[in-house]
Amino acid sequence: MVAIALLANNIMHIEATQVEKAVLLKVSGRMDAENADEFENACAVWISKGAKHIIADLVDLQYVSSMGLRSFLSAAQKLKSASGSLILVGLHGLPLQVFEMTKLNSLFPIFETARQALDSL
Amino acid sequence: MAQPFTRLTLPARVQSVRVFHQFLRDGAAVVGMASDDMDKLDLVLEEILVNIARYAYEGGVGDVEVGYSTQGDALLVEVTDHGRSYNPLEAAPLPDLTLGLADRPIGGLGVLLVKQIVGSLTYRHQDGKNTVSFQFPAHTATGS
Repeated sequence: MVAIALLANNIMHIEATQVEKAVLLKVSGRMDAENADEFENACAVWISKGAKHIIADLVDLQYVSSMGLRSFLSAAQKLKSASGSLILVGLHGLPLQVFEMTKLNSLFPIFETARQALDSL
Repeated sequence: MAQPFTRLTLPARVQSVRVFHQFLRDGAAVVGMASDDMDKLDLVLEEILVNIARYAYEGGVGDVEVGYSTQGDALLVEVTDHGRSYNPLEAAPLPDLTLGLADRPIGGLGVLLVKQIVGSLTYRHQDGKNTVSFQFPAHTATGS
């Protein structure tokens, strides 16, 4: 029964806010093979609206698989080709380990807080 | 002593992954696995299952079976499909991790994650079945 409780919330939530020069996407929950494209799609919508910099706040992201990494990588490549960037903040726990194991952490600007990320722009 | 295997068979598709996660977590709870380790186990299982869902039946439909057995404080896990002979550890080249953002290929990271988390994985093709098996946590002593 413990295990059932642990996985009761499998959903990923993405909340978008426009802040100064960037769009802040607060991503919470678990990003797996079934929902990873939701993040890429959310980025694509903001890129189509002219967003150059997207800050992904991952402090409440508990899980990310390789399909999630594809979504981050794809969105970052699109932003870079438009002279923008995908900035990660609040990366910790398993998601941080996953970025480190794949050395993707070296490809993204990473900050502890959204404030620090905004100040870097 | 390893215990008998508990098994679940579902269609080999991405939508089955969460059900298998829950299934395996029931076994993980039996051996008292920590929550952080359960997430890692979810990750390893998802990467293996997504590979099977995408490649084993070459666009067709088929099933995949996940089985686990408890051994001490670890789980022995077996993932079996009836698709084409396919060793996930050898089939895909590992991505070049030194490439920059613009050149980094999107994909190939799943196998890399599995290898780093479980260390060793065994693959066998027998009687028309592919079986990938591993122990998790990997560092636990076996044979007790």
